Amino acid sequence: MTAIAWLDRPYLLLLGHGLAVTIVLAAVCVTLALALGFALALAGRHRWGLPLTHAYTAAFRNTPLLLQLFFWYFGAMALLPEAARVWLNSPHALWPTPETLAATLGLTLYTAAYFAEDIRAGLRGVPAGQWEAALAIGLRPAQAFRFVVLPQALRISAPALIGQIMNAVKNSSLTMAIGMAELSYTSRQVESATFKTFQAFGFATLGYVLLIVLIETGWQIWRRQRPVWTR
Amino acid sequence: MKTTLLAALLATALIPAIAMADRLDDIKKAGVLRVAAFDGNPPFGFVDEKTHKIVGLDVDYANEVAKRLGVKLEITPTNPANRIPLLAANKVDLVFANFTITDERAKVIDFSVPYFASGQQFLAKKGTLKNPQQITSLRVGADKGTTMEATLRQKYPSAQVVLFDDTPFALAALRNGNVQAITQDGSKLVAILGALPDKDKYEIPPFSISEELEGVGVPKGETRLVAFLNDTLHDLEKTGSAQTIYDRWFGPTTKAPLPRLFKIGDAHIRAE
Amino acid sequence: MDALSSWDVIKNNLPWLLWGAWPDGPLGGLALTVVLAAGSALGSAVLGLALGILLAVLRGVPRHALLGTLAFLRAIPVLMLIFWVYFLLPICLHIDVPGVWSVMCALTLISAAYLAHAVYAGIEGISKGQWEAALATGLTHWQTLRLVILPQALRMMAPSFINQWVTLIKDTSLAYIVGVGELAMVTAQVSNRVMIYPAQLFLFAGVLYFALCQGVTWAGNRVAKTAWQS
Repeated sequence: MTAIAWLDRPYLLLLGHGLAVTIVLAAVCVTLALALGFALALAGRHRWGLPLTHAYTAAFRNTPLLLQLFFWYFGAMALLPEAARVWLNSPHALWPTPETLAATLGLTLYTAAYFAEDIRAGLRGVPAGQWEAALAIGLRPAQAFRFVVLPQALRISAPALIGQIMNAVKNSSLTMAIGMAELSYTSRQVESATFKTFQAFGFATLGYVLLIVLIETGWQIWRRQRPVWTR
Repeated sequence: MKTTLLAALLATALIPAIAMADRLDDIKKAGVLRVAAFDGNPPFGFVDEKTHKIVGLDVDYANEVAKRLGVKLEITPTNPANRIPLLAANKVDLVFANFTITDERAKVIDFSVPYFASGQQFLAKKGTLKNPQQITSLRVGADKGTTMEATLRQKYPSAQVVLFDDTPFALAALRNGNVQAITQDGSKLVAILGALPDKDKYEIPPFSISEELEGVGVPKGETRLVAFLNDTLHDLEKTGSAQTIYDRWFGPTTKAPLPRLFKIGDAHIRAE
Repeated sequence: MDALSSWDVIKNNLPWLLWGAWPDGPLGGLALTVVLAAGSALGSAVLGLALGILLAVLRGVPRHALLGTLAFLRAIPVLMLIFWVYFLLPICLHIDVPGVWSVMCALTLISAAYLAHAVYAGIEGISKGQWEAALATGLTHWQTLRLVILPQALRMMAPSFINQWVTLIKDTSLAYIVGVGELAMVTAQVSNRVMIYPAQLFLFAGVLYFALCQGVTWAGNRVAKTAWQS
């Protein structure tokens, strides 16, 4: 019954599809979250923006992602007016399903809170002398930020950001609770269709490990290849 | 360290599980019958709002079995997808959870004779689903690890099925409009519809796409336990206890009255 | 829409959300969340400290094996590890771990894998001179580690530990997958039963989690500060 017999082709395809969904979901959310996290970090540099950034990161980092996903999928939708709900839930060209929408929104907002903190720490880690020197050689503030401060800040926060990207990949598994057909969801599906618990969960587990190893390897290669002065 | 652990895992996984002792004796010796039941699927198994205990039709049957064994009943809550893993991992002795008997499942676990039957039906907003052909054009919510999903995929491959961990989540998605219909046992849907705060907006279209016979899930190879369950179930029918249990959850005075078209020992649901 | 306000729904179900069926039945809700988080915080602190010290003292193959195991634990989602501990350990090794314990076990393992690195970094962060000086005074290696290095290293590790505790509180919500009735699960249960006000109920649970996480962060920082000022 639990003997090692490999899964049949259709089930492998299903799992492969789940893996692909996990990759795309994580990639989209990381991209969006980087943009949002960056905006939040920049807002945090201003007196009016700082409380906003603080409130955002505190709210999203101190509540479980699962609860946030439940909120976006089951809760927030119920708050919308009937017309908006009907529009959101009916198919439109190039418009994602409600599950995809809630999963992307939930994972992006959650991840952005972590990105914002890490980017802020990076910006704070650049010595004030760098600013002054950049301005002294005649750069405009925008240029000084773009060409002097930012590269150094990103270098400081890069390891933390890579760690958060890995977390985003792993956290994407929670979206199965709101019907997103990613790797964990398909592994449960295959498990209940074939009863091959060991193989189904084994495939999913190795899938996640593979993704994490790929990110780590990519990061190491990139770190070695980039010019010495940015290291 | 890692490799030896892995080797141990593989080795134990390769050895077929050997039935050590007879489960029926184990249960009597332990004095406890461990049963998996639903905690969110009225009226089969759900948490009672006042007592906070899991109650329902399935639990009543489990209670009768425990009573006849002379042991205490211990309920473990489950969702549909966890039912077989719970048996395989020896976390429970029996599963009483609206468990449809199928050939595939019978390869890995054993079943008692069916003690409940119903057809797979749909719940949808009024007017959205009039005939089975429309299923293909709808987004349908179902539970992970149920026969509903498999049947739907097989009969309507182009339908868009969205899977949830348990029926209440699928129902919440229906009420949000995320899916246009959910599919379940007709009997369960009647109960769900009866409990909806805005039930006049929903309906159960009068067609079913399969017949579901539901039995007790038993670990593979426990023939004496299965025989005991079958005797008990037939006896419950003979003494009228089965009817009493049915009436408690589906009788004329309940929120979801439903005529009883299947008796223990029948091969199929009787035509109305 | 209904005579019942969202606050009524929360009020009617408040005991169930806060402590489940206790004292007549098993503990649940917020109280179980606290128990799960506290148990795995304690477990992972002990295990993380031990593994961190091992990382600092081991050499060669055993160290690589340990590093590999830790990397593996950090690479898999918590949800997957809970599945493994709950469903696959009994099948593979014939060890049965009940729901609450398997969640605690999975959380402890993953959390310890993170903490081990923080502990190791803390130990490595203490200058070589300290080791040499302590050894020169006649202390053994173990005494040096325990009396000189660890107290200093722990101070540096405090933020990692506090962060990890917050993560643990949030991760207890994943216990829903094996039917353990902690806060997230009972909230979903209540929301599914009353079928109105899902947003309000999830927000309410969110506020409880928020208070718990902020409380732990605040208390942790305070203790860390006072402990090392004296």
